[in-house]
Amino acid sequence: MSNPADLSMTEAADAVRAGEVTSVALLEACWRRMDAVNPTVNATIWTDREGAMAAAQAADEAVRKRAKLGVLHGVPMMHKDMYYQAGKLSTCGSALRRDWRPTVTATVIERLAAAGAYTFGGLNMAEFAQNPTGHNKTFGDCHNPWNPPYITGGSSSGSGASVAARFNYMALGSDTGGSIRLPASANGVSGLKPTQTRVSRYGVMPLSFTHDNVGPLTRTVRDCARVMSVIAGHDPRDPTSAREPVPDYEAALTGDIRGVRIGVPLNVFFDGADPQVTATIEAALLVMKARGAVVTRLTLPLMDAVAAYGGIVSRVEAATIHAEWMRSDPQAYGAHISGRMYPGYAIPAPYYVESLSRRGPILRAFAAEVFAQVDVLVTPTIRTCLPTLAETDIDHGPPGTETKFMAVSANTRPFNYLGLPAISVPCGFDPHGCPIGLQIAGRPFAEARVMRVADAYQRDTDFHTKRSPLVGD
Amino acid sequence: MSTFLAQTEAMIATWHGIAAPNDPGRRLAAELAGTIAAFEKLRGTLVFEDEPASFEAALQATKEPAP
Repeated sequence: MSNPADLSMTEAADAVRAGEVTSVALLEACWRRMDAVNPTVNATIWTDREGAMAAAQAADEAVRKRAKLGVLHGVPMMHKDMYYQAGKLSTCGSALRRDWRPTVTATVIERLAAAGAYTFGGLNMAEFAQNPTGHNKTFGDCHNPWNPPYITGGSSSGSGASVAARFNYMALGSDTGGSIRLPASANGVSGLKPTQTRVSRYGVMPLSFTHDNVGPLTRTVRDCARVMSVIAGHDPRDPTSAREPVPDYEAALTGDIRGVRIGVPLNVFFDGADPQVTATIEAALLVMKARGAVVTRLTLPLMDAVAAYGGIVSRVEAATIHAEWMRSDPQAYGAHISGRMYPGYAIPAPYYVESLSRRGPILRAFAAEVFAQVDVLVTPTIRTCLPTLAETDIDHGPPGTETKFMAVSANTRPFNYLGLPAISVPCGFDPHGCPIGLQIAGRPFAEARVMRVADAYQRDTDFHTKRSPLVGD
Repeated sequence: MSTFLAQTEAMIATWHGIAAPNDPGRRLAAELAGTIAAFEKLRGTLVFEDEPASFEAALQATKEPAP
C-alpha cells in the first residue's frame, strides 16, 4: 500500500476492518503529513498525540480480537474546534474560549465514536464560526494548501484545509451561511450541508439557532455519504432535530442519474461571476448530461425575499448570543467579527419575526415552483476566483474590503434560509491554481439524491483525486 | 458621521449598552440603510397570519417524495 494518508476515509475504514492496514499506521501517516505541511497551512489549534495513539492501539486490538466493528472503525479524525468533548479543549476559534473545556460531548461526536472513529485534535476555524474566509486573529489565519496566500474559505477553514492537505480523513464543519461548502470549494474537497434539522446540534457551539447545520468535509462524496449515515437522525437531546428516517446514503450512490432534471439558475447565482468559474460549471454540466441528466435553465422565484430575510436572522441570533461579551470584552474579537455583529443590535424585532415567519411560506412557494421543474439545482459554490487573505482582511484593509469579504458567501447563503441540502464538490481550478466548487442543492431531506448526482459527477472526473502542490506526488 | 449612523449608534447604546467596537462596525451599521430598503421592497407581500407558520412543517411538506 502507498502512503495510507492518501486513502479516502471509506478506503481507510474498509482497509482497517479487513486487516489490510492498522489504525496506528493511519494515525502515524497523518502525523507525518501534518508535520510536513501544517506549518504552512495552520489548520490545527490543538492536537492529542498520546490520546489518539491509545485509541488507535485499542482499535487495532479490537480487530485482532474479531470484535464487532463499526463502519468508521479505526479512522482518526479532527473536527472544527467547536464540537464539544467533555473535558477536552474547545476554543471555538476565539481568545474568549482559549482555555475552555465543556462538560458535555456532542451527539455527533458520540455517534462517530460509536462507529469506531476517534479524534486526534481540534481544527482551526473562524472565530465563533463567523467568517467566510479563514481569518483568525487569535490562532492565526488558515492558508489554502493549493496556494497559501489565498483564502481557505470559512468558517470551517481548518476542516477544508486539513482534508485537502491529506492529513485528515474527515472533518466535521458547521454551516450557517456556507461554512461547510465554502471551504469545501476553496480547498477542493467535498462538503455537505444537510437539510436544516437533519443532524443533531447538541453539544455544538451555536451561532444561529435557526440556521446552523452540522455536516462533513471529506475527500469524496462516498465519504460524505458514510458519515451522514452515522450522524443523521433524531436526537432527543436536540428537540429541533427531525424524526425523518435515515436512508442508507451510501447505497444510494448508484451512478445512475438518467433523467435527473438539473436546474441552472438564470438569476442571482451567476451575477458578476468570473468567466473561468462559469466555464467550469458549464463543463461540469456537460459531464452530467453525458450521464443522462437533463439540464434546464430557470429563473428562481423569491430571491429578493430570501436575501433580505436570510440576512436578518443569523445576524440577530449571533448578536444576541454574543451580547454579554460584546458589552464586556469587544476587543477580544477580531474587528471583522465584532464589526459584523454590531449592526445586529439595531435590527428591529418585527424584522426578525417577519423573517422567521416568512421562512416556511417562502420555502413552500419556492419548492412548488422550482421542484416542479427540476430535481436539483446546480450553481458555482463561489462565483468568483478565490481572493487572497490580504484582499479580504477587514481588520487591516481599506473601507470596501467588506464587500469582497461578503461576496464569497453570496451563493451559499440562500440555501441556509431555505433550509435545503446542498453539497460542494471540486470541478476545476482557477488561474491561481485554487479549486472551483460545484454546488448541488435539492429538496428538503433529498441528501441521497444530491449526493447521488455529486457522486456520479466524481465517477467521471478526477478533480477530487488531485493533490495540492504542497502535498506533492 | 451621517444622521442615520448617529441615530443607529445611539439606539444600540441605549437599548443594549454596546458601543461601536471599531470602524468596520460603523461602516456595516451604516449599511443597514440597505437592509431597510430591501424590506421596503417586500412591503405588500405579507399576509395576515391566522396561524403561526412552521418552518419545520414546510420542510416536511416539500420534502422528496418517497420512491
